[in-house]
Amino acid sequence: MIKFSTTRFGVLETAEEKIINFHEGLVGLPDMKRFVLIDYKDTLLKWLQSLDDPDIAFIVAPPDVMAIEYSIDLDMTAKKYLQLENDDDFVVLVIMRVSGEEIVTNIQGPLVLNANNMRGIQIVLENPKKSYQKTG
Amino acid sequence: MLVLTRKSNESINIGDNITITIVEIKGNSVRLGIKAPAGLKIYRKELYEKIKHENLLSSSLLMDEFKKINEALRSKND
Repeated sequence: MIKFSTTRFGVLETAEEKIINFHEGLVGLPDMKRFVLIDYKDTLLKWLQSLDDPDIAFIVAPPDVMAIEYSIDLDMTAKKYLQLENDDDFVVLVIMRVSGEEIVTNIQGPLVLNANNMRGIQIVLENPKKSYQKTG
Repeated sequence: MLVLTRKSNESINIGDNITITIVEIKGNSVRLGIKAPAGLKIYRKELYEKIKHENLLSSSLLMDEFKKINEALRSKND
């Protein structure tokens, strides 16, 4: 088990195989390479906690909880990076935040994970029209 | 910043593996062709900056915000 400290949850422990490796970090956060998902029983919302910085954690969810229908075609770079064995065998999570009374979902920069090898990547989608979905 | 003048169909090389070609010039738009090793991520700068900004805004939320989003999801799905 690996112990790590977090600002929000105190000291946590995780099995090494539960660590998601973003080898290139996230966009603008290149040093944030190792994360764990913190699940709750009664919600699909999760925390994605960094092991590299105790302060950094994201609120994430599968896109369907926001009624977002994605058809993500991963490019060769992402597929190669995730070492996908089957082209559709990946998990998508979107990052969410609060802005005033609104909830902002970043659907333009989703996280894509390969659960078989625990590799992750943040991809950048070009279509700017669908960039953020806001709900009141 | 290095500034070079190129015409349509002319290219520049960056190092040994990256070639940028001016494909078309039309009004104030330039179409670029980029040949680079697979694995090198290429973004439109404004898009990259937007996602970066969004990541920074999203990285320091607290439990209250988690609850707020969760409640919104619940009321949406009820």
